[in-house]
Amino acid sequence: MTDRTERSRRTGSGPGRLLVAVYGILALAATARGVYQVATKLDEAPVAYLLSLGAGLVYVVATVALATDRRTLAWWAVSIEMVGVLTVGVLSLVDVGDFPDETVWSGFGQGYGYVPLLLPFLGLLWLWRTGRAAEVPARPTT
Amino acid sequence: MIVPLALLVVALCLALGGWALWFVVRDRAVVLRQLWGGAVIEAVLLLQAVVAGVLAATGSPDVDGVLLWGYVLTQLLVLPIAAAWAFAERTRWSSVVLLVAALTVAFLEYRLLQIWGTV
Repeated sequence: MTDRTERSRRTGSGPGRLLVAVYGILALAATARGVYQVATKLDEAPVAYLLSLGAGLVYVVATVALATDRRTLAWWAVSIEMVGVLTVGVLSLVDVGDFPDETVWSGFGQGYGYVPLLLPFLGLLWLWRTGRAAEVPARPTT
Repeated sequence: MIVPLALLVVALCLALGGWALWFVVRDRAVVLRQLWGGAVIEAVLLLQAVVAGVLAATGSPDVDGVLLWGYVLTQLLVLPIAAAWAFAERTRWSSVVLLVAALTVAFLEYRLLQIWGTV
């Protein structure tokens, strides 16, 4: 690690490099799944499959925003994602019809090793930490 | 899916992942040689895609084509994108990214076997 005082730490560097990679993999997985579901069996459970595709697109936005240091957009995408995984998770627990069936967020993301549940918390933590670093003006190292 | 080919893919992914893990422990960034290792995996994946294409065309097992090719394409994309993303970072985190990517490809191989109906 290089010792440097950063005016603003980029969200896509250091540990953020890993965060973006995991977001990217989920974006790919969720979007591909959503496109497949919408393209092949939309009439079976339209709400669930459109939600599935929507969730994939949220991950795509979050990935791009974090990778390119677009902080505001990243805050929005990660927050929406947190609301999404918690809402769909709870709804799939109480089992409301076929609504939350077969999406990345079903059962709090258990089909993906609960990574979708963990990720928004890590994302917000990372945005908060890098944001705080940005607020502190660069001090001369003594 | 040809089982020996799938086992080869998983073995190579675990080898690359182990190599990356070693670099994480040693606090080192990804080196060019590891990317060549990734290229070898990509070559085997391409070979597998051709074999799967031939088998599917001759109608061997009755698989969902869209699902199968979705996975094949996704699996081909993971390593090149992740490797490029990892290589730009010159800290140990680049090795962590490569490790995650290698494990992802191995997991996708397992899902492919499921779709093919061999597991």
